[in-house]
Amino acid sequence: MTTKKVEVQQAVMAADLSYAQKIKDRLREKGILMVNLIGSPGSGKTTLLEKTLGKDGLRAAVIEGDVATDRDAKRIEATGVPSIQINTDGGCHLEANWVDSTIDKLPLDELDIIFVENVGNLVCPAEFDIGEDHKVAISSVPEGPDKPLKYPLLFTEASAVVLTKTDLLPYVPFDLDLYWGDVGKLNPKAKRLDMSCVKGEGLEEWSRILRGWLEEKRNG
Amino acid sequence: MSLVSAILESLEKMVDENGWSSVKSVTLRVGAMRQVIPDVMKFAFDVSVKGTPMEGAELAIISVPIKFSCRGCGAHWGEEELGYLCPFCGGTNVDMDQGMELELESLEVQER
Repeated sequence: MTTKKVEVQQAVMAADLSYAQKIKDRLREKGILMVNLIGSPGSGKTTLLEKTLGKDGLRAAVIEGDVATDRDAKRIEATGVPSIQINTDGGCHLEANWVDSTIDKLPLDELDIIFVENVGNLVCPAEFDIGEDHKVAISSVPEGPDKPLKYPLLFTEASAVVLTKTDLLPYVPFDLDLYWGDVGKLNPKAKRLDMSCVKGEGLEEWSRILRGWLEEKRNG
Repeated sequence: MSLVSAILESLEKMVDENGWSSVKSVTLRVGAMRQVIPDVMKFAFDVSVKGTPMEGAELAIISVPIKFSCRGCGAHWGEEELGYLCPFCGGTNVDMDQGMELELESLEVQER
């Protein structure tokens, strides 16, 4: 028995990336856009979906990632769009291999867009490519304006940043300039959106962004 | 935790392929943008390797600092100015050159 040192120099996430690539290839062939919604628990991901689904003419489906329970999935089901729930059994994010084994259960020939509602968490979901076209960072006014700098990976990876619950701005100390200033430094190319699902603010712009992405994907 | 699972998966595959009897130490390069807390990762590793050929292996983590560069003006900067906006020319054509690494650098293994 001998001990020896072995130089490896090997990236660890290779397996995950191959699943992500498989999903990308499949969705490109079908012309379907995939949008990965990432934000804290309670930031308003499910509510945003409820306000989006079935209202903008896009044929959508939802993959729901949750640690436990099917509460969010039930809310999505009530909108009438096809949805599939992935329970992570305590896992803090979705991974490409789970999404891969789920995706063919959706009616792919009848879809324009698949939303993935990731597990409520600002850290891990940003690490994992699940084959999506765009990550969307969702954070809400009551969480405070310091989230971009505290969780920079999510905000640098996101194609769009949505600030939800802006109807609470009169009641909660929140520095909008600080928040959007930090987002602008981390990721000047991200689309920025103030949103209140209660007041309906930002929903039309959100719809325009989604349509723009879909068009880009189908023409590109 | 799932980063640790991914690492263990890679290690197990290597142990299988090379027929090593055990792994004594693992050196990992982790980018600072990976949001890994070394002590937490070491703890997760120690707990997860029980009953595998990696049991008892020492995990060393080399932290790789974040570095950006601007394609516009050629400037380089690090984590004091986080982000894809060049602090020198204000340009947005910026690359993250390092900071997202998650790589097995080297191992010490016991051969059969």
